[in-house]
Amino acid sequence: MPELLDLQHDMAGALQDAGTVSRTERWLSGDAGLIEQRLAIYRANVTAAATKALAAAYPVIQQVVGDEFFDGLARAYQRLMPSTSGDLYDYGATFAGFVAEFPHTQSLPYLPDLARLEWAVHRAYGAEDAPAWDRQALAQIEPTQQAAVRFVWATGTAIGESSFPIARIWLIHQSGFDGEFSVDWSVRESALVAREGFRVVVRALDACDAAFIASSLAGAALGPSAERALAADPGFDLGQLLGRLVASNVICGFNTDKDE
Amino acid sequence: MTNLPDRTVGIGLRQPHYREVFERTPALGFLEVHSENFFLDGGASMHALERARAAYPISLHGVGLSLGSADALAQVHLAKLKRLVDRVEPTLISEHLSWGSLGARHFNDLLPMPHTREVLALLSERVDRVQTVLNRSILIENVSAYVAYRDDDMTETALLAELARRTGCGILLDINNLYVNAVNFGFDPVARLAELSPDAIGEMHLAGHTAADGCLIDTHGTRVCAEVWALFEEACRRFGPKPTLIEWDTDLPTLDVLLDEAATASSIAHRSTIEVSHA
Repeated sequence: MPELLDLQHDMAGALQDAGTVSRTERWLSGDAGLIEQRLAIYRANVTAAATKALAAAYPVIQQVVGDEFFDGLARAYQRLMPSTSGDLYDYGATFAGFVAEFPHTQSLPYLPDLARLEWAVHRAYGAEDAPAWDRQALAQIEPTQQAAVRFVWATGTAIGESSFPIARIWLIHQSGFDGEFSVDWSVRESALVAREGFRVVVRALDACDAAFIASSLAGAALGPSAERALAADPGFDLGQLLGRLVASNVICGFNTDKDE
Repeated sequence: MTNLPDRTVGIGLRQPHYREVFERTPALGFLEVHSENFFLDGGASMHALERARAAYPISLHGVGLSLGSADALAQVHLAKLKRLVDRVEPTLISEHLSWGSLGARHFNDLLPMPHTREVLALLSERVDRVQTVLNRSILIENVSAYVAYRDDDMTETALLAELARRTGCGILLDINNLYVNAVNFGFDPVARLAELSPDAIGEMHLAGHTAADGCLIDTHGTRVCAEVWALFEEACRRFGPKPTLIEWDTDLPTLDVLLDEAATASSIAHRSTIEVSHA
């Protein structure tokens, strides 16, 4: 395909950089002015598709910075990190790193954490449905075996760690939120992102709960995960946390070392 | 045969209409969705698609496979489509006569192909591979274009007709795209219909466009215009009733507007079929 490859190479160049449009003139009908005018339609389509996909993944950031600023942010991101997939659900995975470096968002230092949280929410939305499992079996584990239990977490479950009240910021920007639109900036918050049924939930976590979940999600057994939680806060209530996570099916199974 | 047209018209199912469609289950022949919106492992969207599938035949319309990319066919994308096809068992599967990616860069747009023998050979091989992987035939759609290539050997419709003959694929004839291109490049769209055989047409699309800077742009954001309805009627006369879709993607109206457009399509298809059978 030498000729078609050359043609698409020149077209692709002109879609990314209007300065190279003249290279498409040997392929396209019409004069230079018409060609640039028509390629501009495609360039706008390409930008619009990427911007729409980014806004679908980062709706809270779009609200925080406003539509117009977000469009500019999306254009700058696209220049640096263009789409590489025909499946736009994949687009925007590196946005948190981008906003951390972007000069014009430095006045919003919580933005990278918020972006990481939103990406986790975006991925949880399409994650595999958690399977049904035998909850009774968990209650029947011998006390001597309990510390060795490793939990199976529903796909999409994630911890968003932050020095900012990140879960609160996310919550007050949800449609249908009718509480007080205020944020206590002195609070450091980690957030649990999880699918409960088809709904993605974001919950603020105590430091000890966050420590337990992060450890267990990373594959550690119950014993060492509980020790980390107790180190973060001696008041850690394991039974209460597990009760919630099992009831909502965010923990959706377990293994013991015996099984392995 | 008499009630066939009513049962062949469908609408594009978009998220804001999910609930209302499930509650009302309007009389439609099928629902069409964008394949790429359902490449997910699970969750609310997949659940909605399963509900839709329980009530209607589903048509999977792809926008991201980039069949015409000169460098390579996207294997990962095709594998995702295969998984979805196995899950949904759609009544129709379609993609575009277009390219959208080169190397690692994806433009996520439907860029037109030159209409040459070289492209016909490439697309024949690609469509063959897709049909082999999916183990069934697909439909290929003509696209709206804002640029034309200098050295075309044939028209887009002639290319599609030959592609269908070589690969056994069907043609998804987008009446609005044909009209948009006829205006943008100054040709007679009815003459293009004459290049297509009725047997090859597997589906027709109807949509709205907007005019800007001396050019029609395929926005899928308005009602079907009178000229496109007239061209649709001509196509129905030639090809008979075919599964026909009202496509609407931007500035979504109420479901009732889509159903109203679908009813118009149905009555035109019905009327032109009666004319043909009495001719």
